[in-house]
Amino acid sequence: MIWLSWRQFRVQTIVAGAALVVVAIAFAGTGPHLVSLFDNSGLATCRASCSADAHAFIDEVSGSTIQLIFYGSIFLLYAVPALIGIFWGAPLVARELETGTFRVAWNQSVTRTRWIAVKLGLIGLATVATTGLLSLMTFWWASPLYEVAQKAGQNGLSIRKVAPPLFGGIGIVPVGCAAFAFALGVAAGVLVRRTIPAMAVTLVIFAAVQAVMPLLVQPHLIPPVQATAPFNANTADEVVVTQAGSGPLTMILKGDFSRPGAWILENQTITQSGQVFTGPATSACLSISAPPQACNNSLNRLHLRQLVTYQPASRFWPLQWMETGIYFVLAAGLGALCTWRIRQRRA
Amino acid sequence: MIWLTWRQFRAQAVVAGAAVVAVAIALLVTGPHLAALFDSNGLATCRAGCGTDASNFINQVKGSKTELVFYGGIFLLYAIPALIGLFWGAPLVSREFEAGTFRLAWNQSVPRARWLAIKLGLIGAAAMATTGLLSLMTSWWASPLYRAAQKAGQNSLSISRLTPPLFSATGIAPVGYAAFAFVLGVTAGVLIRRTLPAMAIALAVFAAIQIFWPGVVRPHLIPPARSVQAMNTANCGGMMVTRGGGFALWSCSVSGLPGSWVLTSQPVNAAGQPVTTSPACVSAQNFEQCLGKHGVRLAVSYQPASRYWAFQWLETGIFLILTAGLGGLCYWRIRRLN
Repeated sequence: MIWLSWRQFRVQTIVAGAALVVVAIAFAGTGPHLVSLFDNSGLATCRASCSADAHAFIDEVSGSTIQLIFYGSIFLLYAVPALIGIFWGAPLVARELETGTFRVAWNQSVTRTRWIAVKLGLIGLATVATTGLLSLMTFWWASPLYEVAQKAGQNGLSIRKVAPPLFGGIGIVPVGCAAFAFALGVAAGVLVRRTIPAMAVTLVIFAAVQAVMPLLVQPHLIPPVQATAPFNANTADEVVVTQAGSGPLTMILKGDFSRPGAWILENQTITQSGQVFTGPATSACLSISAPPQACNNSLNRLHLRQLVTYQPASRFWPLQWMETGIYFVLAAGLGALCTWRIRQRRA
Repeated sequence: MIWLTWRQFRAQAVVAGAAVVAVAIALLVTGPHLAALFDSNGLATCRAGCGTDASNFINQVKGSKTELVFYGGIFLLYAIPALIGLFWGAPLVSREFEAGTFRLAWNQSVPRARWLAIKLGLIGAAAMATTGLLSLMTSWWASPLYRAAQKAGQNSLSISRLTPPLFSATGIAPVGYAAFAFVLGVTAGVLIRRTLPAMAIALAVFAAIQIFWPGVVRPHLIPPARSVQAMNTANCGGMMVTRGGGFALWSCSVSGLPGSWVLTSQPVNAAGQPVTTSPACVSAQNFEQCLGKHGVRLAVSYQPASRYWAFQWLETGIFLILTAGLGGLCYWRIRRLN
């Protein structure tokens, strides 16, 4: 059975291996350059107040090939689970059903349970290994970038590992994703029984799950932290006067928030009674002749507070483990569904 | 033949229709909010000096659900041509090969040329129509953003439709890509004759073209314009002297031409020769004065934003010609098969 799985999976293994080699070459070609940039920037030995050097380093990397490769690798780690679900998962059983070879495959001395178990197990293992290797290579290649973000200790560097879109594309979450996508593909093949519709269904469902996860599930895996601080208009990110149509002039205020690397879910400016502050705009902020400092002072006199809901960067690994766990549980459930369904078929 | 094509294409057409309707609903639901945000920042009536209003508007959109919808639309317009090539193109002929039905289909009174022509024509037209509709809808939805960028007249808003990430997902270029991806899939199916490998290879080839085209081919479709401008922080978002004494520049724009696509930027001296080491007087405080004293300026080669539609037509035309070429290859190959 193991030999049969390998024999039927040969081509996909070779393609996966070739792709991994290509990616490894791309990383090996650009990795040393990134490391030398890091060393030259003096950040390797920097101990405190490294933010200026770090800023300069990140700015130097922005817009260059390195940034392209970084985002390309994140995109790849999102795309590979989808491709695995479509090309490895969906055809696995659907092809047997479509061509009628299931009549041979499922009426041998090897029981159906063993047949599907070995197939799922071996190819599932290959899935996990491929995605894991890819994630590891990306992590090794990008480690200077993460080190810089850590040393900079400021919010402006926007390498927030715990927030989407990075979160789903680094660490062990892509591995869980790939296992889930694979199991989803196999289940779609078993239920839909035709290869190309199964591929389409897998893609749609997987895309839907990928879209829903960061919006609905990830923020609440661990209840987010809520922090209040006095609102200071002088350091605020946003002090804006707006007017909806011909209605009253309202204000939108967003305070500055510096927890490095945190995933900010909500940033509201509230009054002393706890309501969100929308206005009315103070006269100092409306007048064109008054200096901006007068506007800031008038806002500070209102004693507003800033309410921020966020996931701190320190929760990166707990959140990763939880999300990967969820994906693996889903994958196991889908695998069980497949096994049950295959055993049920009459033919 | 037309009925046969429809009959075999029915399921895909229904799926495409449902997808377009779903996207239309999503855009209709979020569109008015974006337009209201545009108005409430005073951008509808603003005539001059709209820079702060536009920045406020963009800042309000950033980090909100609206930004997600915008990027979702861009991603969709990148994905749809690839999906069309994958699910409509590759199985078209390879499924006939795998099932053996080509023996029936190609030995009828309908000649093979006509069989292929009607299949490619009708389904290709459907592919182009779907993608065109989606591009139209997303452009309509995002028009407040583009208008804000135009009114601001600044480059710092980085919503320039000519630059690579946005170019391939706006205008009529996606229509050309969809037609090309479709016929690429069909060709892969004709040459490889098995569905799954054809899908994989069509996807790989199309992805490779999409990755390399904006950097390698597109900048040279129209010879870039060149200009020499002052080297200061108004023109370059960041400038720095590296430890080796060289220059590091990033986010450079063309003064007076917001939204241009900057291809290369290089410091040059008064005679126009490239300058690789910074003058000795440079420090953080007097960067610009020092450079000015030594006559170091910035030579940029760029494509101005006004060439957006020229590039769109050129690129669509090239891809349609490639499509026709691949279609001819398919026809030649099918005719020869027995």
